[in-house]
Amino acid sequence: MGRYILKRILWMIPIILGVTVLVFTMMTICPGDPATIILGSLATEESLAAKRVELGLDQPYLTRLVKYLSDVYLHFNLGSSWISKISIVSELKVRLPRTLVLSLFTTALSFGLGIPFGISAAKNQGKWQDSLCMVIAMIGSSMPNFWLAMMLVLLFAVKLKWLPALGIGAGLAGLKYYILPAFSNFATGMASAARQTRSSMLDVIRSDYITTARAKGVPEKSVINKHALKNALIPIVTLMGTAFGNMLGGALIIETIFSIPGMGTYVIGAVGNRDYPVVQAGTIFLAIVFSIFMLLVDIVYAMIDPRIKALYTAGSKKKVKKEAKA
Amino acid sequence: MSDITVNAAGARPKKKSEFVRIMKELSRNKLAVIGVVLIILEALIAIFAPLIAPYDPLEMNLAETFMKPCAKHLFGTDDVGRDLLSRIIYGARYSLSTGVLAMIFGVVCGLLVGSIAGYAGGQVDNIIMRILDVIQALPGMLLLIVLASMLGGGFLNTVIAMGVGAIAGNARLIRAQIMKEKSAEYIEACDSINCSKFRIVMKHLLPNTISPIIVSASMSIGNYVVLGSSMSFIGLGVQPPTPEWGALLSDARSYIASYPHLVMFPGMAIAITVLAFNLLGDGLRDAMDPKLKH
Repeated sequence: MGRYILKRILWMIPIILGVTVLVFTMMTICPGDPATIILGSLATEESLAAKRVELGLDQPYLTRLVKYLSDVYLHFNLGSSWISKISIVSELKVRLPRTLVLSLFTTALSFGLGIPFGISAAKNQGKWQDSLCMVIAMIGSSMPNFWLAMMLVLLFAVKLKWLPALGIGAGLAGLKYYILPAFSNFATGMASAARQTRSSMLDVIRSDYITTARAKGVPEKSVINKHALKNALIPIVTLMGTAFGNMLGGALIIETIFSIPGMGTYVIGAVGNRDYPVVQAGTIFLAIVFSIFMLLVDIVYAMIDPRIKALYTAGSKKKVKKEAKA
Repeated sequence: MSDITVNAAGARPKKKSEFVRIMKELSRNKLAVIGVVLIILEALIAIFAPLIAPYDPLEMNLAETFMKPCAKHLFGTDDVGRDLLSRIIYGARYSLSTGVLAMIFGVVCGLLVGSIAGYAGGQVDNIIMRILDVIQALPGMLLLIVLASMLGGGFLNTVIAMGVGAIAGNARLIRAQIMKEKSAEYIEACDSINCSKFRIVMKHLLPNTISPIIVSASMSIGNYVVLGSSMSFIGLGVQPPTPEWGALLSDARSYIASYPHLVMFPGMAIAITVLAFNLLGDGLRDAMDPKLKH
C-alpha cells in the first residue's frame, strides 16, 4: 500500500510540471499585451518597451519558460503579481483556505443530503419517495449555480436579512458567510450523489447476500445500513473525488458572485488583467490540490474495499503495477 | 433459383437494430418524451424568433426602463427599456446552439484523439494519454476560463473553448471502447485483407463503438448550456448586447434587489432548457441500461 501511495505521489510530479508548461504556454498565446494593460493605453511606446523588458516579455518563449520553471521548482519562488506587486505566496496562503472551506462545505452538504436521498429512493424503488427524490435531484441539477446564488441572495439576504449577501467574516462567526455560497453550489453535486447512491444501492440490494441477510431475519434497517451501504459506497467515494474537483471549479464562479476573496476571484481577475504569474501560480496550486484529493480518494477506495486492500498488502509487485496503471 | 433467395432471406431474420430498440424504449418513458417536446419547442422558438418576439431585442426605449411585467411587456423591460421577453426568445438561439455545437465539437475532436490513441496503442497511446492526464489535472472550469481568455470572447470562441475542454473526457471514453473492440475477429479479418488503417478505424471500429459516446454526449448538452451561460455571466463568453441568457443575468445582477424579475426570467429559461436536456439524457441512459429502470 505504501509503495502504491509513493508511486502515485511521484507520478504527480510530471503531471504538475505538465500543467505548468501548459498554462504558461496558454498564457503566452493569450492575446493582449500585459504592458499595455498595466500602463494603460495612453502610455508611450518607450515606456511600454521598458515595461516589457522589466517583465521579461522581450525574451523568447523558451527562455522565459525555462526561467519560470527554474524559479518555481528550483528556487520555490512564485514571484509576485505584476499589478499589485504583492507576493503570490502570501496571497495564496490567505486565499486557498477560503476556497477549500467553501468546496469542502459544499461537498459535505451535497453528499450529506444526496446519499440519504439516494438510499431512500432505492429502498422504495418505484414508489412516491423514489420519484420525489429523483425529481428533486433532477430540478437541483438543472439550476445554474450562479442563478441559484442570486435567488438565494434575494431571498435570504435582501428580503429576509438572515444571512450576509457577500464578503467574508473572521473566526467562527465568519462561517455564516459561507452558508449561501455553499447552498448555491451544492445542487449539482447533490443530484449526482443521489443518483449514484440510488443506482449502486439498487445493484447491491438485488444481490444474494442481501436476500440471505433478510432471510436470517436481520432487521431491515441494519440490512440497508450495514450490509448494503458498505458495498454501495465504493462508487460513491469515487464520485466524491470528481465532485470535489467540480466544486473547486464551480467555486470560481460562486466566489465572484459573493465577492469571496478566494482563489477564484484571484485567478479570474488575473486572467482579465493578463497577470501571468498569478494565473500560473493559481492554476498550479489548484491542480496540486485537485491531484491530492484524487489520490486521497484512491486511498480511501482501497481502505473500504477489502478486495483492493488485499491486492496491495499481499499482492506481488506485478499486481501493484497493474493496479497503478489502471 | 428464386427458392434459394427466399430461403436465404428467411433463414436470416432481420436483426432489430440497437438504435431502434433504444428509441422505442425512450418513447415509453414519459419524462424523456416531455424533455424531447420541450427541446423541440425551444428549437422552434429559437428558429422563428423574429416572428414570435414582440419587439426588437436590441431596441432601446428610454421612456420605458425597468418596467415590471405587464400586458405590454410580459416579462418587463431592462435598464435601457429593452423588452425582456424578446431578449429571452432571441437568447434561445445563442444558448441552445452553444450547448449543441460545443458538444459536437468536443465529440468530433475526442473521437479523433481517442481513436488514434486506442488504435495505434504503444508509444503513441502513451504520449496522448499522458497529455490528457495533464489536461484533466486542471479543474474543468479553470481550464475553460484560461481557454476562453486565450481565444477571446464571442460566440464561436466560447463554443471552441467548451469543446476543447471536453476533448479529454470524450477521448478517454472512445479509447477504452476502441481498445475493447480492436481485438475482435472482424478487425483481424480486415487486417488480413490489407485494409488501410484509416478505413478500419472509420468504417469498422467507429460505427461499432460510437453509441456510448452518443449517449454520454447527449447527456452533457445541458451541462454545456450552463457552462456557456456561466462564461457569459463572468464576461468571458458571448458579449453584450447579444441577448445570451447568461449575459442577460450578468446585466441584471446589479438590479437584483429592486428589479428581481430581470434575474428571475432568464434563469428560469436556462433551468428549463437544462432540465429538458437532462430528462432526455436520463431517459437515454435508462433505455441503454434497462437494469436501472423502474
